[in-house]
Amino acid sequence: MTEASVSLAAAAAPARRRGAIGTIVAAFNANKTAWLGLAVFLAIALAAALAPWLAPFDPIEQHIADAMTSPNATYWLGTDTFGRDLLSRILWGARISIVIGVASMAAGVIVGSALGLMAGYWGGRIEQLIMRSMDVLLSFPTLIMGLLVVAMLGPSMVNLIVAMALTMVPKFARVARAPTIAIKERDYIEACRALGYSDLRIMFVHILPNVIGDILVLASLWTATAIRIEASLSFIGLGVKPPTATWGGIIREGFDNIMDAPWISLYAGLAVLLTVFALNLLGDGLRDAVDPRLRGE
Amino acid sequence: MPEPLLKVRDLTTLFKTSTGWFPAIRDVSFDVWPNETLCLVGESGCGKSITALSIMGLLPGKKMRRTEGEVVLDGQPLLELPDKAMRAVRGAKMSMIFQEPMTSLNPVLPVGLQVAEPLIAHGGLGRAAAEAEALRLLDLVRIPDASQRMAQYPHQLSGGMRQRVMIAMALACRPKILFADEPTTALDVTIQAQVLSLLNDLRADTGMSLVLITHDLGVVASMADRVAVMYAGEVVETASVEALFARPTHPYTEMLLGSIPRADRDVDTLVAIGGQVPAIDAMPAGCRFAPRCFLAEPGCRAAAPALTALRSDERHQIRCRVRIAQAAPEAMRAGAIR
Repeated sequence: MTEASVSLAAAAAPARRRGAIGTIVAAFNANKTAWLGLAVFLAIALAAALAPWLAPFDPIEQHIADAMTSPNATYWLGTDTFGRDLLSRILWGARISIVIGVASMAAGVIVGSALGLMAGYWGGRIEQLIMRSMDVLLSFPTLIMGLLVVAMLGPSMVNLIVAMALTMVPKFARVARAPTIAIKERDYIEACRALGYSDLRIMFVHILPNVIGDILVLASLWTATAIRIEASLSFIGLGVKPPTATWGGIIREGFDNIMDAPWISLYAGLAVLLTVFALNLLGDGLRDAVDPRLRGE
Repeated sequence: MPEPLLKVRDLTTLFKTSTGWFPAIRDVSFDVWPNETLCLVGESGCGKSITALSIMGLLPGKKMRRTEGEVVLDGQPLLELPDKAMRAVRGAKMSMIFQEPMTSLNPVLPVGLQVAEPLIAHGGLGRAAAEAEALRLLDLVRIPDASQRMAQYPHQLSGGMRQRVMIAMALACRPKILFADEPTTALDVTIQAQVLSLLNDLRADTGMSLVLITHDLGVVASMADRVAVMYAGEVVETASVEALFARPTHPYTEMLLGSIPRADRDVDTLVAIGGQVPAIDAMPAGCRFAPRCFLAEPGCRAAAPALTALRSDERHQIRCRVRIAQAAPEAMRAGAIR
């Protein structure tokens, strides 16, 4: 849009007073697929939070007589080999998946972007120290890091979160560092120095909002990945211990009888798929909303 | 005798190149008195901006440069200050605005917050109080509909408007001195005039001093109380604006003024200064202007002249041995600025 048409539009429309947050929310509101992603993810998160009230049965209560029942009016998604209600198990499993996904992502974002900003802004030895340590962490694939941490510290939810966060930190550090190096040379950062702002203020108030879009997109993708890896580790028996319901664990339990009772693995797999897909839609929408240059104002 | 607000003495900034250390500015000395406008004038690359950035402590790359001399702001020596103490001075007691208003504002933060931020960082104000003050500042720099502009982003503002926002930010903490580095070069002529008159009014209203860096002698004539002319990293002449335009004494100033087309006089040919500014690593020995000077004598190439006051006017100083000798052949008073 040209300068002239912007000012014309501004003059014509009654000026609305909206803060930064309001503008972002408004841009996000206009994005229908992002809304779909957010709605689906919130629905899953809500279902997870309300699992004790929503679940029709105790997730570990065995109904041996009804083992491997296909979906019906009593057991909406059927039962597994021990006759446990699958709907209840998937609802309870969502709690594990979402807590691990969100907590490890939050830890990865906070530690990773702080390290990346400092490395990019200060440069020199600090940058070398931070980024070479990140390279070491980065050399472990997520699944291997998960195996390593679980093998050393034992399978528990906290250990899984630590393992997942460790593999995410270098990714966020890299995504935060690269634009920081470019942005710190901009005139407006020079102007910040001329106004006597501290390094930390420049990094977190002025540079961070410029890189947060990239970080948010990556954050949604990595929440999805963490959920997927948690399912993988549970699938090979290194996740949260049975009989606790986890999505990966349910898929594993159904795997032996996949020809006779495909619904066991199928519905848990669909839960993973739906969550990952919703998070990806959400991430794309967030990126468009946070970056004013993509808002087309 | 009152003290100047800003005292700069023998300010020298050296940069390291592959072949050694070279001074980008050398022995720069000037005073800025309370509530006056000093114009630093000179052609591109003469060290005007380096001078301002050296005083502000904003030059990057500590290992690649060295700043020597003396800078005293309001009784406080600045060059020796540790980084943290210097940060408390910048933006609070002394501020700076830059040439490029289009890129000097953070594109992802609303302008109201950016104007409020110096008050939060230096004044310890809460966000609400700072934003109320920011609104007052935007009014002060004559931004129409300031309350609506607060929530807007820089790309929704015109260039002149953005420069006003920059001025509001720089003045938020009521600095004693404002450096303006070619603040109107990127703006068109009518907006230039508005911004300059705004700066002048703000200086008069707030009692601050203004150091205006420019290469535009028209701006100098309309804004300055005093002028320092720079050439190749040195101040070659400093005088009140009246004295400078009426009696330019250094040959460079003289030629510079002769090179401006004038509407009020019929001039057949404009003076062109032959040759070009020497490179930083190929400065001539002695007077740096000698190779291009119509007055140059063999003696000029032997020793670098000092900034010396004219006998007729204590505050009119030049860096030229020939003209000083012509004006007062019997008593050369070197270094009279001290």
